[in-house]
Amino acid sequence: MTDLSLATSGAGPMITGTPSPRRRQARRIVLRLAVYGLPALLILVPLATFLVYSFWITVDGQVVQTFTLANYIDFLAKPVYRGVFVGTLWLASIVAVTSLIFGYIIAYLVWRLEGRLRYLLLLLSVIPLAMNYIVKIYAMRSILGYNGFLNWLLVTVGLLEAPSKQFIFNQTAVMITMAVIYLPYAILPIFLSLERISPSLMAASADLGGRPGQTFRNVVLPLSLPGSIVGALFVMVLALGDYLTPQMVGGNQGFTFGRAIWSQFGMAFNWPFGAALAVVLLLSVVLIILAAAVISRHARVK
Amino acid sequence: MTATERLTISLLWVIGATVFVVLYGPALMVVLLSFFDITREGIDWGSFGFQWYGRLGDNPQMLAALGNTLLVGACAVVLATALALGLAYYMKTGARRGRAFVEFVIFLPFVLPAIITGISLLIAFRELGLERSLITVTIGHVVLILAIIYRMVTIRLDSLENSQIEASLDLGANGRQTFFHVVLPQLRSALVTSGLLAFTLSFDETLVTFFLVGGDATLPIRLWAMMRVGFTPEVNALVSIVLVVTITLAVLGAMSLKEAMARK
Repeated sequence: MTDLSLATSGAGPMITGTPSPRRRQARRIVLRLAVYGLPALLILVPLATFLVYSFWITVDGQVVQTFTLANYIDFLAKPVYRGVFVGTLWLASIVAVTSLIFGYIIAYLVWRLEGRLRYLLLLLSVIPLAMNYIVKIYAMRSILGYNGFLNWLLVTVGLLEAPSKQFIFNQTAVMITMAVIYLPYAILPIFLSLERISPSLMAASADLGGRPGQTFRNVVLPLSLPGSIVGALFVMVLALGDYLTPQMVGGNQGFTFGRAIWSQFGMAFNWPFGAALAVVLLLSVVLIILAAAVISRHARVK
Repeated sequence: MTATERLTISLLWVIGATVFVVLYGPALMVVLLSFFDITREGIDWGSFGFQWYGRLGDNPQMLAALGNTLLVGACAVVLATALALGLAYYMKTGARRGRAFVEFVIFLPFVLPAIITGISLLIAFRELGLERSLITVTIGHVVLILAIIYRMVTIRLDSLENSQIEASLDLGANGRQTFFHVVLPQLRSALVTSGLLAFTLSFDETLVTFFLVGGDATLPIRLWAMMRVGFTPEVNALVSIVLVVTITLAVLGAMSLKEAMARK
């Protein structure tokens, strides 16, 4: 009796300590499934479903699962959608260029500073990123609106007789609001590309008799421009996909491609067509990202 | 510096200051307005007080939205942290096949426009027969914040000496013991920082949430709905609170990021 109990208790820990090869194999397979399967399930499968959807069509409000290019042909055939697409590309480009110029100015000024002030101003230029997106749109609306701050100011100063409706619910309002919302996204990448410039290069330029203006033109600007352009392209991607800003400050005139996509999932309720439009957006975004990748690789080789 | 250069820099500072005013002005104005009544004639400057903040408490819809947002954020951060931690540790221990590809996939939702991620998830959930609810919102947020947490955990893991893990294994600890007693304690600051940043992101997330939300709204969605109806000082009060909370969270995150980087 005692012998037997000793034997079993002796065998017990051995089993749990080193599991049988088969159980270890099984555990490894489960682990591998989780590691590769979960990201695929959460990200790749939805993306694939979305791509497939763009080749289906809606007949009488019902999705029909037949492979067809009808949605894409529809997009190319309807001048309305093409026009909105080109208009949105243009809008996003302007927003990107604006954020490049003003983002560069801010980043450059902060980069020249030293010590605590530098850190404080850097933090100040990043904090707007944490401000709620809806809140920012709302705030811009209360500035540009008919009863807004800008009208109040202009009427008080005497530049306007009565409040104007020109500042909101048009394409310009969308552009201004997007420029304000997305500018902070450009400041940090530009600052980082300035940070990467080796101080010894600047010292060398100064030693060789270069004045600050010359050092900026010949050393700082060429070295930081590629990274800054990448930051601006990032802003362009954000502006292209935005659908709420145009809806909130654009009114009837500020129609953008993002809004066109969104309306297919809302009021128009034509999901396959909306998916096809989104694929067109995705393709242009991929092109922009590729351009950014080429620019940053080119800069690194230099 | 020559006179022209000095002039240029001063001019740039004027532009820079203007940009800061434009970036902060709108938000500050909303906070200011939240303390006053607005009448037909304009702002009643005599009405300064916290009356609108008091009214917020009477609005059960808004409190529910706030609760939903906090719940979604907490669940998403916990789930995404577990997933990111497992993934990062698995990739660290041993030369794993397809690491670059897995990382590429994880970073996709971070790079692609929110509208694409939102639509993909919306369509996938519909094909799976999953009704839109706070659960679908939470899954969407996990997908979005996974990349940040994974990135920060990986950076910290890469700075750990492999020999520590090897020593622990040599001394007879199994993989699980090594993870919980050797690796995890050293990841704490990275987890806190990435958790804070991820929570801030989740708290503000609007563009993906919009496609996934069902009957129970999160705070940004509720705000959007309230804004469509019109401008009330109540909205200003809520917006002010949201601003203070998110900025506090972000500054905390930035500070712990700086600390974590200094320690490394």
